[in-house]
Amino acid sequence: MPEKILESFEIRRLEILDPKGEVDESLMPSLSADEIKKMYELLILSRTFDQRAIDLQREGRLGTYASILGQEATQVGSAFTIKKSDWIFPSFREMGVYMTLGYPIHQLYQYWAGDERGLKAPKDLNIFPICVPIGTQMLHAAGAAMAAKYKRDPIAVITYFGDGATSEGDFHEAFNMAGVFKLPVVFICQNNHWAISLPRERQTAAKTLAQKAYAYGFEGIQLDGNDIFAVYKGTKDAIEKARRGEGPVFIECVTYRMSSHTTADDATRYRSKEEVEMWKLKDPILRLKLFMERKGLWTEPYQKEIEERSRQIIDEAVKVAESVEPPHPEDMFTYTYAKPTFRQLKQMEDF
Amino acid sequence: MDSEKLIEMYRQMLLIRRFEEKAAEMYMMGKIGGFCHLYIGQEAVAVGAIAAIRKDDYVIASYREHGHALAVGTEPRRIMAELFGKATGISRGKGGSMHIFDAERNFLGGHAIVGGHIPLATGVGFAINYEGKDQVVLCFFGDGAVNTGVFHESLNLASLWKLPVIYICENNFYGMGTAVTRAMAGPEMYLKAKAYDIPGELVDGMNVLEVWEKVGKAVERARHEKIPTFLEVRTYRFRGHSMSDPALYRTKEEVNEQRKRDPIVTFKQKLIAEGILSEEKFEEMEKEIKAIVDEAVEFAEKSPEPPEEWLYEDVYA
Repeated sequence: MPEKILESFEIRRLEILDPKGEVDESLMPSLSADEIKKMYELLILSRTFDQRAIDLQREGRLGTYASILGQEATQVGSAFTIKKSDWIFPSFREMGVYMTLGYPIHQLYQYWAGDERGLKAPKDLNIFPICVPIGTQMLHAAGAAMAAKYKRDPIAVITYFGDGATSEGDFHEAFNMAGVFKLPVVFICQNNHWAISLPRERQTAAKTLAQKAYAYGFEGIQLDGNDIFAVYKGTKDAIEKARRGEGPVFIECVTYRMSSHTTADDATRYRSKEEVEMWKLKDPILRLKLFMERKGLWTEPYQKEIEERSRQIIDEAVKVAESVEPPHPEDMFTYTYAKPTFRQLKQMEDF
Repeated sequence: MDSEKLIEMYRQMLLIRRFEEKAAEMYMMGKIGGFCHLYIGQEAVAVGAIAAIRKDDYVIASYREHGHALAVGTEPRRIMAELFGKATGISRGKGGSMHIFDAERNFLGGHAIVGGHIPLATGVGFAINYEGKDQVVLCFFGDGAVNTGVFHESLNLASLWKLPVIYICENNFYGMGTAVTRAMAGPEMYLKAKAYDIPGELVDGMNVLEVWEKVGKAVERARHEKIPTFLEVRTYRFRGHSMSDPALYRTKEEVNEQRKRDPIVTFKQKLIAEGILSEEKFEEMEKEIKAIVDEAVEFAEKSPEPPEEWLYEDVYA
């Protein structure tokens, strides 16, 4: 019998804003001038937060920190379309998402300084605590989406993870469940090309990460993660689709980690300067600035003003974070189980 | 293929069928304890696939593995003794039905955890490459295992590192009582291979020659080009998931329909039609196999129980 082609697939890649700041008008999402400025201001705020976090870590005022440098557009662009009623399951490299959602910034510094209370989300925000194990949050998101579907809640669940997480078994199980039950979940992969020191091409032999969704019967798209308009449009379409009950979407945002993996890593030991220089030209903030300048939305004084405003916000957040009374060392025994175990009681006594 | 090999394939399938029927009987009589998952209906998969490899290649399977062990040539009496939990069993009576293991024949076991052995097969593939050898690994698992995380991790690494592993899903359409369509998202199962950029193929698991041919091609790719393959082999288990499952989740009509595809019956018809074997020869073979199975039971019955001290052995190196 001759071989037949039963199915074949295509992977779409979405790009709207190029590194020169030019847009494809036919794809441009409808955003007001104020919204675009708001996006730009969040990008600057996120970068200011990030730079300050690294400085504070170097001064010994924060613990190990995972920088978001270079990935701001993926984070701000996607979070910009999330509603308060949606649920978010982040990994640990999404400070831009937190800031876009209006999370109290001082709490973020508090967390990175080692105080877990920083992750207690405000009542009106449905964001889960940072997930340090790679990829486990994808399962939590699938579970939450199942609950939403069960309760007929017209919300979307959004989860973030990196390229390394796509090789995890949890990825497979979460994607399969999302596909079988048509769950309202949007999987956002920040493909920043490096899983600590492992490059993307050694992570998987597949040409794209997006195509992995095909194996679970739902759509996977790739987009330029340094293009805030593409991220916004791709995420918005996916979230709306999820809210309508039409099932999950997988979005691969191709971006680049400009920093080391964390402050405890030195990326110069495993990647070339040339590669980093090449990605600098694709900077997500630079290209939005060029676009706004062309549209008359950006001026030098405006830049100065928002940089100054961001600095003030960050200064204030650091001040508040550092003035919070530190957690008590005994807390580490108190919050693990509802009732402390006999071992914990013994350890506490010895302590 | 010469007729001798065709007859041998048939003989192996029949041996598995009769062995399993006897095992079921012994289980009902309380001679076999614990779990017992029968392979009845799926014989063509193990036999066809294992006919396509060399003696020094590796085979690793799930807990429905009596048939695979018989196909690699493990003595029936030692498998039966294992089911009986006797000291002469192939795993010294300590493994039971789900843990048949025959190192001499590179049969790396029966594994009870769903999907748990898929990464082991991947590791064996890695070791083969590391040592510069040209063997291959056949890894058998069910449709339920395809949804476990380790399936994903294994196929990703096999593709990335070019490992000589053939992943064979014996899709019998039910993961215990859950129909495959209720547990697995996506298009046809074998197309999942596309997520890893490796060849994925659909195989009729009721046709022993098709299994042999398609696994053979995958073995060639693995041996000479280091390309892993994912095969979805469609088969059907005529019995319940295990001896304690009456299979109330599927209709009699469905099972009867599937029985028309019985790999042994259809292969026999083919061998008769092509004049390869006469009805008398089949009778002879039946007798010969009955004797083997009866002897296996006798051997198991007469064998001693493993001594208590053995509890402390074989756990760690």
